[in-house]
Amino acid sequence: MIEVRDLRKEYAGHVAVEGSTFEVDSGEVFGVVGPNGAGKTTTLKTVAGLVEPTSGEVRVAGDDPADADTRRSLGYLPEESPLYEDMTATSYLRFFADLYDVPREVADERIGKTLDRLELDRRETRTGDMSKGMKRKVAVARSLVNDPEILVYDEPASGLDPLTTNYVVEFVRDLADEGKTVVFSAHNLYHVERVCDRLIIMNEGEVVARGTLDEIRDEHGGVEYHVETTVPVERSEPHDGNHRVVVENMDEVESVREQTHDEGGEVLDIRTREPSLEDIFLDVAEGT
Amino acid sequence: MRLRKVLRISRWEVSRTAGGLDRRTLGFAILVFVLVAAVAPFAFDGGLYDELYVVGVEDDDGYHEAVERADTLRAVEPSWSAFSSGDIDVLVRDDIHVADDQKGEAAVAELRDAARRYNAGELAEKDPDAAFPVSVEINYVDRDAEPAEPGDTFEPVAEEEDSEDEDADDDDDGVDAPDAEEDVDDGFSLPSGGLGGIIGQGGRSGTPDDIAPPFPFESLILAFAFLVPLNFVVQAYSTSVMNERIGRRGVLMLASPVSRQEIIAGKTVPYFAAALALVAAVAAVVGGGWRSVVAMVPVLLIFLSLTFVGAMFARSYKELTFVTVFVSVVVTSYVFIPAIFTDIDPVAAISPLSIVVRDLQQAASAAPASWYVFSGAPLVFSSAVLFSLGSGVYREEEMFNQRRVPHKAVAAVASWLRRRASVAKVSVFLVPFVFAIQLLVVATLFALPVEVSLPLFFVAAAVVEEVAKSVSVYAGFAHSVFERNDRNAVVLGAISGAGFFVGEKFAHLAQLVGLDTLEIGRAALGVGFDVSPLVLVALFFAPLVLHAVAASLAALGACRGKRGYLVGLVAAVVVHVAYNLTVVGLVA
Repeated sequence: MIEVRDLRKEYAGHVAVEGSTFEVDSGEVFGVVGPNGAGKTTTLKTVAGLVEPTSGEVRVAGDDPADADTRRSLGYLPEESPLYEDMTATSYLRFFADLYDVPREVADERIGKTLDRLELDRRETRTGDMSKGMKRKVAVARSLVNDPEILVYDEPASGLDPLTTNYVVEFVRDLADEGKTVVFSAHNLYHVERVCDRLIIMNEGEVVARGTLDEIRDEHGGVEYHVETTVPVERSEPHDGNHRVVVENMDEVESVREQTHDEGGEVLDIRTREPSLEDIFLDVAEGT
Repeated sequence: MRLRKVLRISRWEVSRTAGGLDRRTLGFAILVFVLVAAVAPFAFDGGLYDELYVVGVEDDDGYHEAVERADTLRAVEPSWSAFSSGDIDVLVRDDIHVADDQKGEAAVAELRDAARRYNAGELAEKDPDAAFPVSVEINYVDRDAEPAEPGDTFEPVAEEEDSEDEDADDDDDGVDAPDAEEDVDDGFSLPSGGLGGIIGQGGRSGTPDDIAPPFPFESLILAFAFLVPLNFVVQAYSTSVMNERIGRRGVLMLASPVSRQEIIAGKTVPYFAAALALVAAVAAVVGGGWRSVVAMVPVLLIFLSLTFVGAMFARSYKELTFVTVFVSVVVTSYVFIPAIFTDIDPVAAISPLSIVVRDLQQAASAAPASWYVFSGAPLVFSSAVLFSLGSGVYREEEMFNQRRVPHKAVAAVASWLRRRASVAKVSVFLVPFVFAIQLLVVATLFALPVEVSLPLFFVAAAVVEEVAKSVSVYAGFAHSVFERNDRNAVVLGAISGAGFFVGEKFAHLAQLVGLDTLEIGRAALGVGFDVSPLVLVALFFAPLVLHAVAASLAALGACRGKRGYLVGLVAAVVVHVAYNLTVVGLVA
């Protein structure tokens, strides 16, 4: 559905994205993760047809998103919610429906349903008088006004309170369940873990990891074994009146067990723990 | 560009703008406009000075009839109390009493003139020949027009005619009046007729006392009324464009299935329509016709295009205010100053407002189509360049950043570049813009002595032309469109210079209108030199070498960065000025 090949984007001598390559399949939720300045937003803007690549190629459903007609199948949500604040929510959404050639009757029905789903009641209020959360809901509704196949969401929950954030993240998951293809970036890795089928991790303009979460875990950090003992052993640290050591494979677990036995102690507990995306992200970012 | 999309955006622009005003404000604005439109025809009917001064005079007083006949005076019952309170400017009772202020002095001067005219009129009714033994008919002709007959001179452009002696023409040494009229009746006959032909068509006659220079003061003031409402339109337009940039609001339209050209056109059309409607309304109120409206179209476009570029380049509303004031002052000066000389000097042909002035004067012959083209084409083409320039930065990458104006201008020019040949296209594209700026310089300098104005013009023209030729090369290097090396710089400079040479030749069509009758006009257009055909051919192609060499110098600097570009530009300007002075020296 989306193909990005050897994408390079340079702004006035500064390289924002370098050699980025990835593909997004139809109907999947694809995450773009990385620290500030990693090139996430630039990548999403090129996919949305807003920014022209310095080199490389971006294709959306086989076409160049720089062509106006290609953007008909896209719904873009920028990090901010830049609304025309002198318009009401309804007239604002009608305006964009008009730009996407959506017939008035269809637009009104679609706008009504979307705002119902987003639980936005103050539809005739000027957007300038709305709270940040309400504005975000209007912005999300605008991205859906043309019923696009592909959604490009840049930090969809940016700056929202936890309740609204959770709501928006769930909404993204629902959209994916309806068959939409969603590409989105996020700072909050928990959200990415919750909704993404696949992801890339970017750092300093480059893609440093890619795949499903499990694939990335396998590549950038496997399962950890937390062994709790009654006596100190090599590399152990005090933990709740006992001692704990973290090892990476079963051979090391066996070694800890032998040391404990030799010291006259006993192993109280062995637990496995998978690394979070945050652990991997920090590991990858620091290692780059 | 899809018209359907453009109109759709326009409709929403109108809707949004109207929605931004509360109904009371909108109602009040409409009410004020309707009132002004209703009152203005009466205010302007018959002139600006009608019954300006109040004279207190008895009905049976000798002055009463003179006051009644004078347009500028109004007769009222004489009253000391009204005189003391300032309601009467001149009181005629026993003696003439004048209010102790400037208006009183002006009023009594008008009263004296009215009395003199009244007496002369009365005398003329009784014995016209005794009253006016001398009558004068004036016909204006070109300064360099040939005398009608060998031996005739231009000294007596006014023909003295003894009304009693019908054969006096035959004995007259001055210009034979019918011949002179034949000359000027050619009107826009080219190339010698020029503007002189146009302004020469009007004749004035009467007593020697009636002779006055053809200064179109009243029409000028009314023509100025066409410019005033445009300032309100550009304020609204600039705010609308700026609103797209503040808070990155415009990004979502850019992400929708419309092109940036459609967005720009859609946002501009309502303001152009509003400006056109205002101009038509003003024309209806002050007595202008469709010619005034047509003549103003290029002015509207240049107002809007400059405002658009300014709003795209400004970093804040504070800067935007400066920009809109600057636009207003520059455009008003450009069109108003030359229009002052309507019917007086060919420089008036620069400005479309001169056509409006002539239209308001109800001149016997309308301005020909070529005058519309000469005054309007540079503005229309410049508007196209400016809209294109602004469109170059109407992109996500440039639209929302806070970079300085020069950076944005360079980025806008860089957006036009693809391959090497594109620098030639940019040079051709900028020629009308250069021409318009040079006309502005002509309008500014033409009143100065030639010894001062010519050197100043040569320097100004060289700076403008060298910037126009080299800015695309600099932009190409700055935005990595071209690889920085000396060979590239020389090649790009030569291509740009050649492109400019081709574009410049089109500007020479301007000589057909008659601006070449001005010394500085010839300098601006590079025409009118009386030399042999061989030298003419050499002179025709010499600018090609000049433009290529000078542009290459600037390009060599440009490939070394900003400072290098400035040094190269100065070198190019020096070469250009030296060339201009040398050529003038050779052919003078």
